[in-house]
Amino acid sequence: MFSVGLSDIPRTTGFRLALLFLGLFGAASLILFGFMYWQTAGYLANELDKHFQSEMASRLAAHSSERMRQLEARATLDPDGRRPIALFDANGNWVAGAPATLPSALPPMDQPFDFTLPRDGQAAPFRGMLHRLASGDILLVAQDVRDMNRFRDLLRDAMASGALVVLVLGLAGAVITGAGALGRIDGVTQAIERIVNGDLSRRLPSGRRGGDLNRLIQVVNRMLDEIQRLMEEVKGVTDDIAHDLRTPLTRLLAGLERAHRRAASPEEYAAAIDEAIAETKGVLATFGALLRIAEVEAGARQAGFARLNLDTVAADVAELYEPVAESKGIAFSRENDGSAHTAEIAGDPSLLFEAIGNLVDNAIKFTPPGGRIKLRTFSASDRLGIEVSDTGPGIPGTERDAVLRRFHRVEKCRHTPGSGLGLSLVAAVARLHGLHLAIEDAQPGCRVTLWRDGAALAAA
Amino acid sequence: MAKVLVIEDDRRSSAEIAAALGDHGFDVECAYTGRDGLLKATADKYDAIVLDRMLPGDLDGLGVLATLRTIGIEIPVLILSALSGVDERVRGLRAGGDDYLTKPFEFVELTARLEVLIRRQAAPQRETVLRVGDLQVDLLTREVRRAGRLIELLPREYRLLEYLMRHTGRVVTRTMLFEEVWGYHYDPQTNVIDVHIGRLRRKLEEGGLSQMIHTVRGSGYVLRGSE
Repeated sequence: MFSVGLSDIPRTTGFRLALLFLGLFGAASLILFGFMYWQTAGYLANELDKHFQSEMASRLAAHSSERMRQLEARATLDPDGRRPIALFDANGNWVAGAPATLPSALPPMDQPFDFTLPRDGQAAPFRGMLHRLASGDILLVAQDVRDMNRFRDLLRDAMASGALVVLVLGLAGAVITGAGALGRIDGVTQAIERIVNGDLSRRLPSGRRGGDLNRLIQVVNRMLDEIQRLMEEVKGVTDDIAHDLRTPLTRLLAGLERAHRRAASPEEYAAAIDEAIAETKGVLATFGALLRIAEVEAGARQAGFARLNLDTVAADVAELYEPVAESKGIAFSRENDGSAHTAEIAGDPSLLFEAIGNLVDNAIKFTPPGGRIKLRTFSASDRLGIEVSDTGPGIPGTERDAVLRRFHRVEKCRHTPGSGLGLSLVAAVARLHGLHLAIEDAQPGCRVTLWRDGAALAAA
Repeated sequence: MAKVLVIEDDRRSSAEIAAALGDHGFDVECAYTGRDGLLKATADKYDAIVLDRMLPGDLDGLGVLATLRTIGIEIPVLILSALSGVDERVRGLRAGGDDYLTKPFEFVELTARLEVLIRRQAAPQRETVLRVGDLQVDLLTREVRRAGRLIELLPREYRLLEYLMRHTGRVVTRTMLFEEVWGYHYDPQTNVIDVHIGRLRRKLEEGGLSQMIHTVRGSGYVLRGSE
């Protein structure tokens, strides 16, 4: 069962990544907020202490009588007692100024200290500073710090709630990311399970949006296309092998049984043996061709590559097949476009010879007497290759892909001898050499071209 | 009579090869392991060795070959192998093999190739003129005459003829001709070589002269002087 399970989410990469970033972001924010808070609170306290010092200094600058007057004036100006100034005697009893009481244990002189004073019926936080005058009296400068504390708390609360929001949003994001990834992974897993169970036509689901996973999925899907194609080909080939080998083997058996039944004279036996040998050779040739294609397709022969000129190979092929064409009454011509000396590629000469030979052989087989076959090599800056064209019946457009498959023979040519493996080998050899294989209508006839980009040559 | 040592582990294959070579007129000795083959090859004098590439045990075909060559035994060796790759062939020849035949093969191919190997060993060719019956080939001027009459041959026809003449009286197969004369390694399967031989034959027999190139049933030709 592949539903999105909540317990699976924490294991997803997306979730973990989101969580990691949440942690990092949280830590960074905490440091930033902490710093801001510490700076702000420190700044406020510092400002206050400076104010105390200047206040104290201006009070001390005045004469004691003047000071008393200032104290009275301040008490009137500040009836709420937000910034009280008061004078106490040496024992800490109130003498003048704003109504206030000192803490029972006297704090050290000239140092800011926190204490409480009753205001509006309750104890309010104050901060103040004491100074002992020359007379022994104590002067108090203080300030109500309720507003300041409230601001500080507000700041702290704002930061805390902000952090909470980030945490909740981040966690939610991580869960959504994780669940999304889990959903896609589950889809992919299901698809893979189906494929493993034999449903080769199945493909991995790709989302509408792009992204890394989508790219991966597309590549895997292309790979699956290729695997499916190969599997179908293997199946097709197995069927074809069964057919194309069973037929001659059946004939072989029938012939031998017939000889067993009827043959009376040594001559008849000899004839039966000859037939059997011919059939066996045919079977072996088919096997040989199959193995050869397999070998070429496996790319095993690239080790035998050497630099060779396509035109030289073409000349050798022409030389080998020209008499055959002539004996069939077919005009055989070879040409190159003049720059053929540059038609050099890295390749296996025997394989290329065999491939081109196969093409020419096919052309000779299917071109009626009086027809023409042309073998042309070309080498331009953009394209180089070799082309075999004939004036035969051509290959119907619908069969051009099929002829490259093993054992395929165009239906109307079933009576022509051949294993049906020729073009498959040509295709395999072409692939091994990085050549494209094109089958076109030459109107009339057929044109098969093996070519590659000229630029690719320069790169090779 | 040429003596041939067959080193092949499969008893039935070995028996078949021995029978075919015996029928062809060779004196055949069999060995079934690399070690045994090596012992026989060093103890006795053979004209050629047919060596299976894949032998069981610690000494495989190429190992036997390498050992033989190391101790200075230069008997021609024909390697038999189920491995058909061009690389395998090159490896076999590089290890000191003189020829390489892929299984399954036809016995006419095996005997024809062995004949060539043994003859090459026996008589290195130094002559400048080849003569078979009334046919004469001057290797220096490349002039071909039959019964005194000059015959014009295309370069490839000349090389075909030269190869056939160097192996007069012996079967050469289509594959051998294709390898030697065209220089490509594969079995063309079709009758293309026949057509070339046919042309050569017509030129040689022009004017009602007797047949010299005979087709051997199966897969080869033989050139014989007209008696």
